[in-house]
Amino acid sequence: MNSIAQKYTHTNNNRILNEITSARDGLASTHQLELAPSIQLPPISQPTDFLRAHTDDATNPDCKIKIAHGTTTLAFRFQGGIIVAVDSRATQGNWIASQTVKKVIEINPFLLGTMAGGAADCQYWETWLGTQCRLHELREKERISVAAASKILGNLVYEYKGMGLSMGTMVCGYTKKEGPTIYYVDSDGTRLKGDLFCVGSGQTFAYGVLDSEYKWDLTIEEALYLGKRSILAATHRDAYSGGSVNLFHVAEEGWVFHGNHNVGDIFYDIKEKEKSFNNVDG
Amino acid sequence: MDIILGIRVQEGTIIAASKAATRGISILKDTDDKTRILNTHNLVAFTGESGDTVHFTEYIQANIQLHTMRENDLELSPSAVASFVRNQLATSLRSRKPYQVNVLLAGYDVKTNTPTLNWIDYLGTQTELPYGAHGYAAFYCSSLLDRHYRTDMNIDEGLKLLDDCLEELERRMPIDFKGCYIKVVDKDGVRDITK
Amino acid sequence: MSRRYDSRTTIFSPEGRLYQVEYAQEAISQAGTAIGILSTEGVVLACEKKFTSKLLDNDGSAEKLYILNDNMICAVAGMTADAGILINNVRVQAQQYLKTYNEQIPCELLIKRICDVKQGYTQHGGLRPFGVSFLYAGYDDRYEFQLFTSNPSGNYSGWKATSIGANNSAAQTLLKKDYKDDLSLKDACNLAIKVLSKTMDASSLNSDKLEFATLSLSKLEKGKTVRKIWKDEEIDLLIKESGVLDEKKDDDE
Repeated sequence: MNSIAQKYTHTNNNRILNEITSARDGLASTHQLELAPSIQLPPISQPTDFLRAHTDDATNPDCKIKIAHGTTTLAFRFQGGIIVAVDSRATQGNWIASQTVKKVIEINPFLLGTMAGGAADCQYWETWLGTQCRLHELREKERISVAAASKILGNLVYEYKGMGLSMGTMVCGYTKKEGPTIYYVDSDGTRLKGDLFCVGSGQTFAYGVLDSEYKWDLTIEEALYLGKRSILAATHRDAYSGGSVNLFHVAEEGWVFHGNHNVGDIFYDIKEKEKSFNNVDG
Repeated sequence: MDIILGIRVQEGTIIAASKAATRGISILKDTDDKTRILNTHNLVAFTGESGDTVHFTEYIQANIQLHTMRENDLELSPSAVASFVRNQLATSLRSRKPYQVNVLLAGYDVKTNTPTLNWIDYLGTQTELPYGAHGYAAFYCSSLLDRHYRTDMNIDEGLKLLDDCLEELERRMPIDFKGCYIKVVDKDGVRDITK
Repeated sequence: MSRRYDSRTTIFSPEGRLYQVEYAQEAISQAGTAIGILSTEGVVLACEKKFTSKLLDNDGSAEKLYILNDNMICAVAGMTADAGILINNVRVQAQQYLKTYNEQIPCELLIKRICDVKQGYTQHGGLRPFGVSFLYAGYDDRYEFQLFTSNPSGNYSGWKATSIGANNSAAQTLLKKDYKDDLSLKDACNLAIKVLSKTMDASSLNSDKLEFATLSLSKLEKGKTVRKIWKDEEIDLLIKESGVLDEKKDDDE
């Protein structure tokens, strides 16, 4: 019985298989010759544990997969609305993956979401949040409040708590009922309303400048500059932040983009004008 | 590390909860209220894993308010609330993802006219105490309260004692917790008396 | 086809009635009478035993009176087997409430929960309504002593004195006539015997045909209740003391 089975299964006796194997050996891409369609699955029983074991920088600095983490983002409320400012660098470990990342996600004309932590997580769930907000609008014939929008995101990330999501985001927007509003939402499930937040690896550097010069009565010009200057400070000191500064202003009519400012270009202008950054020559 | 402290006196129960919301090495907010009102005579203060805390307490709050609505505004007594919360935490502890939340429940039983303070941790330990705290506050304040608490104190004396506790915390704790919200539960319900 | 569908569901008739529920209520009005009376000191429940036989091996336990939890008892009129299901359910609910809240369930809430089950069976397809009405005697610290009834439709109501089962309208007329707000528990017991003696067909009243229970406050422990299902001798003594037998004799002569 065994010998019969072997006769028909042994590779050397299987003409078709031999043919395929020899053909495969001669080609660089072997996958195209698979006869049956298949899906790739990780050869592990617990994908979440696997993900945690191989992506968690904090517990294992030698981990093989480095998720884009370093960032500086900020948002603050003031007399003229909200300023949102972010850097544009994406890093994977010590490698700068991109200098031109969009870290502000335009959920709709009145809502912005910022991105810190896992870029894919933020991008995916904040666009998902956009569809939820639109559905709310269609159902209720009214724009969603910032409180409700942030709660949708907060509840969503809470469902995924402990499963590897990594997000630190600020949902910023303006509604008639609430006025200009900022909610901080992170992947722990924390959701906080506040006037001023900085999120990401460069948060401390951004807080340093922002806290020292922040006043409620800032003009829009001053506020935009302060946002830009705070991100610049963070890009200067935090290796994982850099590239350029993206600036937004949110007010009654929705958000307005105030340009992409390359850090390399603005640094020396600002140093010159402010007579600051005296630790840097030139 | 968040601070929550409770002291039961003759006419009511006093709760203090720190205002700082800390994530990593930054204080994100200095006006964070770590308490929720469950019904007219019950207040909960919470600490623990971020995300879990607010989610759990708001879940408890919703269920207790639902009970109030179903029972024609008959409100659960402090001891019933405590048992309910304990039960929820004990059930959660045996689930796939337990809530890591510790709470203090300040209540006033309107049927028997007695103030209560219930201490419950995430393992489902529940005790009725004259004074109690969770986290680091317990290390600093337990001995102080053991020394100075008296069973016949009134609200003002209780508040004075609470101030002594907070003063000690501010003097010895290496981190700034941005002060505390102070709330009282007595026969008239819950009120905020933060200075 | 449609007949098959109709017989599987409780649905409205063209006149807007639910026959299955009405039939269930009809079944109950044939069952032995049960009456309940509220007094200042407690609640009395008394029922008529319809089926008695010398050959029945009765261990002395009540057939129509049940203890629900530490502060409630109930009397059944209708199908005892159906009642068993509901009583089992309600006992579990009461213990569950006690477990979560460490406090006895308020009477009305427990009754509401049985009635939700009853109501469900008047609406969901393929199920027959429960053929039972209940009389509940309860105590809680909000409303103290209480007396409720519930019927197969899932409706419930609170009473000072009421009756269910056979001759219930006659019994209620008598109760309306003789009920007073300041009855003692003893008075209430006597009134119950008196009413039953008049509504029951039996010529002589004795413990073979009666079940009796009282709910009162414990003298030993404050806030605790005593639920007592009476023994035959106690019932006979009560009948004798109440003097209804003498009245009956007078009537006969």
